[in-house]
Amino acid sequence: MPITITKLNIDEVLRYMGCPPDKADAATRALAEESAGQMLRAVTPRWTWRVFDLAFEAEGVRMGGLLLPGQDLKDHLRGCERAALFCATLGSGADALIRRAESVDMARALALDCAAAAAVEAVCDQIEGELQAMFPGCSFPFRFSPGYGDLPLTLQGDLLAALDAPRRVGLTASASNILLPRKSVTAILGISRNQIEKHIRSCLGCPAHDGCQYRKSGGHCGIS
Amino acid sequence: MEFRELLKAPGPILLDGGMGSMLQAKGLALGEYPELAALEHPDWLKEIHRAYVEAGSQIIYANTFGANREKLRRTGRTVAEVVSASVALAREAAEGKALVALDLGPIGQLLEPTGILKFEDAVDIFKEIVTAGAAAGADLAVIETMTDLQEVRAALLAVKENIDLPVMATMSYEERGRTFLGCDPASAALTLEGMGADAVGVNCSLGPREMPPLVEELTRWTTLPIAVKPNAGLPDPGGAGYDITAEEFAASMARLADLGVKLYGGCCGTTPEYIARMKAELEGRTIRDIPRQVPAAVCSGTCTVPIDRVRVIGERINPTGKKAMKEALRKGDVDYMLNQALAQTGAGADILDVNVGLPEIDEADMMVRVVKALQGVTDAPLQLDSTDPKALEGALRVYCGKAIVNSVNGDEESMEAILPLVKKYGAAVVGLTLDRKGIPKSTEERMVIARRILDKALSYGIRREDVYIDCLTLTVSAEQAGAAQTLEALRRVHGELGLKTVLGVSNISFGLPARPLVNQNFLTMAMTCGLDLPIINPNLESMMAAVRSYHLLMNIDRDAREFIAAYGDAQVSTTITAGTSSAPAAAGTGERDLGKLVEAGLKSEAGQAARRLLAEREPMDVVDNILIPALDRVGADFESGRVFLPQLIQSAGAAQAAFEVIRETLSGQPGRETDKGTIVLATVKGDIHDIGKNIVKVLLENYGYTVIDLGKDVDPAAVVEAARKHGAALVGLSALMTTTLKSMEETIALLHREQVPCKTVVGGAVLTPEYAAQIGADFYAKDAKESVDVARRVFGK
Repeated sequence: MPITITKLNIDEVLRYMGCPPDKADAATRALAEESAGQMLRAVTPRWTWRVFDLAFEAEGVRMGGLLLPGQDLKDHLRGCERAALFCATLGSGADALIRRAESVDMARALALDCAAAAAVEAVCDQIEGELQAMFPGCSFPFRFSPGYGDLPLTLQGDLLAALDAPRRVGLTASASNILLPRKSVTAILGISRNQIEKHIRSCLGCPAHDGCQYRKSGGHCGIS
Repeated sequence: MEFRELLKAPGPILLDGGMGSMLQAKGLALGEYPELAALEHPDWLKEIHRAYVEAGSQIIYANTFGANREKLRRTGRTVAEVVSASVALAREAAEGKALVALDLGPIGQLLEPTGILKFEDAVDIFKEIVTAGAAAGADLAVIETMTDLQEVRAALLAVKENIDLPVMATMSYEERGRTFLGCDPASAALTLEGMGADAVGVNCSLGPREMPPLVEELTRWTTLPIAVKPNAGLPDPGGAGYDITAEEFAASMARLADLGVKLYGGCCGTTPEYIARMKAELEGRTIRDIPRQVPAAVCSGTCTVPIDRVRVIGERINPTGKKAMKEALRKGDVDYMLNQALAQTGAGADILDVNVGLPEIDEADMMVRVVKALQGVTDAPLQLDSTDPKALEGALRVYCGKAIVNSVNGDEESMEAILPLVKKYGAAVVGLTLDRKGIPKSTEERMVIARRILDKALSYGIRREDVYIDCLTLTVSAEQAGAAQTLEALRRVHGELGLKTVLGVSNISFGLPARPLVNQNFLTMAMTCGLDLPIINPNLESMMAAVRSYHLLMNIDRDAREFIAAYGDAQVSTTITAGTSSAPAAAGTGERDLGKLVEAGLKSEAGQAARRLLAEREPMDVVDNILIPALDRVGADFESGRVFLPQLIQSAGAAQAAFEVIRETLSGQPGRETDKGTIVLATVKGDIHDIGKNIVKVLLENYGYTVIDLGKDVDPAAVVEAARKHGAALVGLSALMTTTLKSMEETIALLHREQVPCKTVVGGAVLTPEYAAQIGADFYAKDAKESVDVARRVFGK
């Protein structure tokens, strides 16, 4: 199913830019809006997915033949029998647009970068919706990605290989585990036939997690 | 029969079908490496190859698709071992009834600029495979399932430079007619035929029904045989499976004979049954032989520009007579060139000339850097402009697409140095109608040289369509009779030789008043004499107006669409004023205003205000007492949470505009520089997140520091070298990922070990002050503003 996104949440873009939406001046808001529009025209979202059975082991969770090490994902997936592994990318057009802006206007480059982050999130939300619809009656903890908690980034290559992602959607991982094209995600969505306790998708699952100024100063942006 | 003979023989050539899906059907488990099948499951592999030969495949692909050192790294096997075994096994299975192709698939890592793999590293990776494959007895090489034209180029060069086998290259397109990385069939065909591929085509990603538009596009842009090897229809997004049967596949494929397709096979999901049915369907079909004529054209990896109308070559990336550009080249400030590029394409340039020749810099090295950086920001094809064959070869190697080489002249020595490069890299070339005796006065003599260059180019196997002639503009103030001679030569090259023409226009008016007027009229006259490629400043509206008007009046711009799009809403002045017009100075502008404009982040206004202020005040006074205090006020507001990152950057941008005006005033006045000290910045090895580092750069520059920006994914040794070379007292390092903090630590350790006399400041999302101290950094900066504070402490100003 092709994914299209036609609109971005501008408040979210502003937050990623390090600017509380209620305090954004007109020019900054206009910059965010314009950049969101430009970004939406440049992206070519693609995704692919597969469902695997899960086995809980001492060192982590086994998904298909692949061991996902660590405690955090194991705790997170408790109660799930299966998981959908998916990846999504905005394509290389998003990167090119940001690169172009970086040599001319850094404020715009920042806004475009943040619009792309919001766009990846929007794409993942849609994918999650599609996947959930395929498993009626099941419940799902929030999607979990390498880099959250103690789930290592070094898994990126294996996850992409399990999805045949380089060939299917053109998504690769560099030797230092950076997803390329840059504006991309790999994620694991647990699937449980029974009701499971809903966790709140807090800072842990936020794309702005690493660079977030609120979090660095010990605060919170207010999105749950 | 050898591959090249097969290509010449009548009738279709049958390739094989899917391999990965066949191995899975045999029982290959998830997580097993399919590349190792020749070593671990030789019986399966042999059965698959045999089944394809029995089904009618005349060429089978050895199982070397992923046998590169990157993918094999974790298997404990070497490339030589895997490739030799795979090719040997395929030969054994073929029993002489089919040719064996060495299969080269994508490396699995993206090349620059989208990724970080360097072009030469990619060439080297392929070199290892092709030498092993040729030694093991492969009959040809196939490069397939590629989505990045640059990666195909790397593989093709590896073949051409190391082994003597024919080679075919096929790419994977999406339904929008482009690959994942934006390559279109036209750019692929032009580039790969230019570089000497034996056949080109399409494989994987789509089914046979989606092939006709892609094949039709290919036939417009190549004379080479075309190969088609699609999937068994479109894939099911979540599972394995493809959506069409062997019968449907065969019927759709057979219809491609009408489009002249020569080589037929299948990719993912196809089996020997698909090949056998296809063979039966193709039986008795004649491959339609449509004579193909590929027009003159150049391209980047994503954009083809046919020379079928006047195409503007932007001349601004050239240091001749440009102080700021020279300064940028000395500093290695590539961003300056990128800005020039984007301004020109924005104004309507179709192609960009790139000249970075300056006596005191390493031109070859700079040329490669600039070409790589330009490819990251623009789709426009490039014209590589140099007299140094080394600089040209360096640029041609990394240039993705079909470039123009500017230039060769009628001298034997020049032709022998330049034309082989043009041929090897599949470029077009500009021939200057001069030789060691200088520029001939008469038209006839210029024609003689033009013919000489054409004949020589043809003798090297360069296409006639790829030779463009520059009849040379003489300054009319020095040689008034020259202009008419140039125009006459243009007319004859265009008419008698039928070649495309290039001309640098702006020189015509040197030394005269009202230069724009002369340039515009000369351009119009030249176009009517057959000029195809004017080299001009597209930022001058009068020049672009002449081109647009020409297209309108010659009925090239159908229904005046482009003309109306450009001028429909505009008030166009019909007079061209000589010299630069300056806007009347507004009254009551003072220092407060510049400060306010910086605080408000208004770029162009800040530049104008600085210009006005400089009429009354000393440059350094403006910097120290207006600009920096304004930036400090914004910085303080940022720290206290009254303004936010976007505004901080915009203020820095406005200050930058003011600084540029001030630097112009100061340049050429020794000892009166704004420079407060040199800082080297880099995003560390393995990391490519550089937006944060770039924000820091803008801020530091606006406080008057000279920033040497090494970019992203920077080797520790390169940081040490730059810090030494530029005598930087401060080195700033950025890392955004936990996995790349290690490189940051290594870089600092190397700076210490090499005893480079500099301080280090580190920043980036995952860093903490504690970790910074632990890895031996002198300072930690939590944001761009703090990095300025650190610089002030280090430099004491």
